[in-house]
Amino acid sequence: MNPQLPAKTRIGILSFAHHHGEAYIHNLRSLPQVDLIGVADDDLARGQRIANLHGAVFFPSYEELLAARPDGVVICTENSRHRPLVELAAAAGVNILCEKPLATTLEDAQVMVEVCDRHGVLLMTAFPMRFSAPLKIVKASLDAGEFGQVYCFNATNQGELPTKHRKWFVDPELAGGGAFMDHTVHLVDIIRWFLDKEVTEVYAQANHIFHAAEVEVETGGLEMVTFQGGVFASIDCSWCRPPYWPTWGGLTFEMVTERGAVVVDAFRQNLVVYRQSWQRAAWSYWGSDSNQAMIEEFIQAIREQRPPLVTGVDGLRAVEATLAAYRSAHSGLPVTIR
Amino acid sequence: MRVGIVGVGFMGTTHAAGWAAAGGDGLPKPELVGLVAETVEEAGPLATQTGARIYPRLADMLPEVDVVDVCTPTHLHHEMVLQAAAAGKQIICEKPLARTVTEARQMVQACRAAGVHLLVAHVVRFFPEYALAKAAVAEDQIGRLGVLRLHRGSYRPKKPVGNWFLDESKSGGILMDLMIHDYDYARWIAGDVQTVYARRVSTHHPQASIDYGLVILTHKNGALSHIAGAWAYPPPTFRTRFEIAGDAGLIEFDSDATAPIQNLILRDREGSAPDVALPASPVSESPYTTQIKEFYICLMEGRPCRITASDGLAAVQIAEAAIQSAASGQPVQLETLPEVLP
Repeated sequence: MNPQLPAKTRIGILSFAHHHGEAYIHNLRSLPQVDLIGVADDDLARGQRIANLHGAVFFPSYEELLAARPDGVVICTENSRHRPLVELAAAAGVNILCEKPLATTLEDAQVMVEVCDRHGVLLMTAFPMRFSAPLKIVKASLDAGEFGQVYCFNATNQGELPTKHRKWFVDPELAGGGAFMDHTVHLVDIIRWFLDKEVTEVYAQANHIFHAAEVEVETGGLEMVTFQGGVFASIDCSWCRPPYWPTWGGLTFEMVTERGAVVVDAFRQNLVVYRQSWQRAAWSYWGSDSNQAMIEEFIQAIREQRPPLVTGVDGLRAVEATLAAYRSAHSGLPVTIR
Repeated sequence: MRVGIVGVGFMGTTHAAGWAAAGGDGLPKPELVGLVAETVEEAGPLATQTGARIYPRLADMLPEVDVVDVCTPTHLHHEMVLQAAAAGKQIICEKPLARTVTEARQMVQACRAAGVHLLVAHVVRFFPEYALAKAAVAEDQIGRLGVLRLHRGSYRPKKPVGNWFLDESKSGGILMDLMIHDYDYARWIAGDVQTVYARRVSTHHPQASIDYGLVILTHKNGALSHIAGAWAYPPPTFRTRFEIAGDAGLIEFDSDATAPIQNLILRDREGSAPDVALPASPVSESPYTTQIKEFYICLMEGRPCRITASDGLAAVQIAEAAIQSAASGQPVQLETLPEVLP
């Protein structure tokens, strides 16, 4: 290791609006080179409660946490509230890992990328699937030429209604939409990463049948995303998994190539557990924690002062495709991006 | 009831086995009396087995039969059905009903004008797993349908000679020949389709050795169907999957996961390693036989059958729209066809 690097990288967490924030406390603490200096939350009661629960220092405001000079922060506000905190942290010269989707409008996403560039701080988008052990293996085989030319993907990122974690996930303002906004970005990012190509066109159809009485936003959706070079990918982003399904949902894809197909189920590594108290089968995941590997990459990028493996621009591109899906679902026609 | 089968390939042979099993339970046994084949050689084994006579042309067989069972390649269905209808024969026709919507409409019109049945052999409706899921949906077990996912995957069709499956003008290719099963099933359980959007590998890569189709259907009631078809897997793979999600439940099926038998045999009796074996999912009656039996009862007793000529035409309309959409890159809105009865 570079002897000039500081012994510990100082990290703070801004907001627990997103439930991933709590998991990141554990991810950060398991790294010996990290000092979790504290947390802040504009919902003071929530922030104080979570800080107490995990024995973390609670800063009464974001400004006070930033004044303690962290090397990096993880931003876990609601989707539409990422931008002000990114601007605040960037102006303070602090590196940023921001929850996905990066923003709910293209303008917000662009401003966030620009402001981080201008202040010379890293902006990483929280796309943990880039660090998924099964996906990394497939990507390595693809890069080694084992599959030949890629033709198309048949992909799903389905889930249950996310309100059991946080109510705002179905708030059109705070979340920026429903199933499209929640579940398009991961697969768009994975396929951009696999192909090293940008999205050129999106066709999408949405409906409002699952949980129709509970939420206003779209809960079912199918998308067809075309990439430079003509590779096409269908994405099922539906909140179609009932609460009594064995797990929260999942991410799968079939990658069709000139040599056949590769079928990937990223969260397949489960025990099937039957418990009297549950009265149903449940899947207990034993695969590797992609969030842990993602947090490690953020820390290493800060320590080595290099761009992270997944950037703010990656977050911006995924938002762009998601917004195109909304426009297509509205018009009924494919939307061209570039 | 005297039956004649047109075409003696895999499907003609399979239907013959169904006819052999039909009848009983108070119904007389149907008689398979004729086979139409281009050459006596290709029909020889089946003729010997069934005792049916071989005819070089449908016209020669027509006076001898009450029912014409059309099992020819798709592009010949139109001509065969029109001839049989003109002669006043009851008709069973393999799927897809026709290669084009125009042809299919003429066939439905002709059969209605002649007052004869036109039963389309969408055999997936007779597979027990698909029939059971349909019954569960019909009984409102999972509520209002939101998103359906139907998947059918295999290798490119192989035939020793005259592989018409690969001739787009004859079979319609993967978007018609393979995926029509699932368009029909989607429409059966989720209702009429308004919009079709499709992509297909061979549109972009005509020389590719595999093919794969992806189709998004928007049903009139708002449900969405995702249909995937693969001619992309190593032989002898044949895999079907479906997932039907409603607002009060979810049904999943995977042929691999539900196969009760997996053969992991090192050596066969001759001591050589066998070809890769398929997981097997035997049922006591072939769905093809179940289908022929139901068609037979329908024809004998006039009872309604689970598939109609309208259904066969509607499936061709979706398939043709999918081919059109894959070529244009635009969604296709389906018009209401007067021949498709509610």
